[in-house]
Amino acid sequence: MKTRFSRRLFGAALVALLTAACAFLARREKKPFSVSAPDFRTRGPVGAPVLIVEFSDFQCPACRAAEPVLQRLFPVYQDKIRFVFKDFPLPMHHWARAGALAAECAGRQGKFWPYHDILYDRQDAWTNDKAATFLAGYARELKLDEPEWNACLADPTTASAVDADARDAQNAWVRATPTFFVNGRRFVGARELAELAPLFIDQELKK
Amino acid sequence: MKPRDWAALGARLIVGATLVYAGTAKLAVAPEEFANVIVSYGLVGPDLALPLAGLLPWVEVAVGWALAAGFLGRAAAGAAAAMYAMFLFALGHALAFGIPLPNCGCFGDSVHLSPAHAMLFDSLSAALCALVWRLGSGALSLDGWAERGA
Repeated sequence: MKTRFSRRLFGAALVALLTAACAFLARREKKPFSVSAPDFRTRGPVGAPVLIVEFSDFQCPACRAAEPVLQRLFPVYQDKIRFVFKDFPLPMHHWARAGALAAECAGRQGKFWPYHDILYDRQDAWTNDKAATFLAGYARELKLDEPEWNACLADPTTASAVDADARDAQNAWVRATPTFFVNGRRFVGARELAELAPLFIDQELKK
Repeated sequence: MKPRDWAALGARLIVGATLVYAGTAKLAVAPEEFANVIVSYGLVGPDLALPLAGLLPWVEVAVGWALAAGFLGRAAAGAAAAMYAMFLFALGHALAFGIPLPNCGCFGDSVHLSPAHAMLFDSLSAALCALVWRLGSGALSLDGWAERGA
């Protein structure tokens, strides 16, 4: 009887120990938040201690509102931040995908960020039935090679790149734009980015 | 050992390993991330989801190891079956109400199953739990070892 009890006790201890070992290993081996994006959609040095990944939609007013917040973070943290922009055009925004494709093609000619800025700055102007005309006009304004830009729009790999980002967003359970992952920690919207993210970034930099 | 003991061992190991893997995968991400997944199912709010997200992976791993080791095999099978029933209810609720889920969120960031596939997987796992419940811990179990010490 005594042996049975001690063997049961041993069993309980073994299960508890194995459970704790799993938790320890899982947290120790915690994967860094992995992202894939072309270089032209990134800013900051590779290997910077803080990685910010934004899932954004060019037609989303909240994403536009988050832009000034982001722009304030860059000079504060400078080369301690690497930023990755990822597309997540929401189905309810009819022109967002066209904007994402246009910006992707501008990026392939080295003008992603200026095009990105124009899309947000003039969001009210191009998000309508005449989106294609406006988007082409912005390409001209930035002196992009227009035939190449148009060919890029028709290139299936451009759509694939945007679709891949959208899949990444879904796999990360992104349900609203803009969603930011700062070293893997989720911040949704401009307010969380402005009020909570800097505290978290400071903590990460102290590690 | 009879064939039924080996069948029980097989069922224990399959369900136990699955639960250990699923729980460990969830423990590898922040509880807030898993809470976000739980909220997406539309059954509980963020207030309840966060403690649930903190607790559930531990329970999965502990029950998984108990099953794999054959420790309190019937009780562990019952607990695992209850968890699968809960998962099936949540998945069924999401499918019935057309809640768009990109995947089931069952294995953290690692394996992505569609909700329909997850329902099939959970149903089979629940059936294996019922088998363990019926047959007991079977071969190579801590339960058997403890009984031999009586």
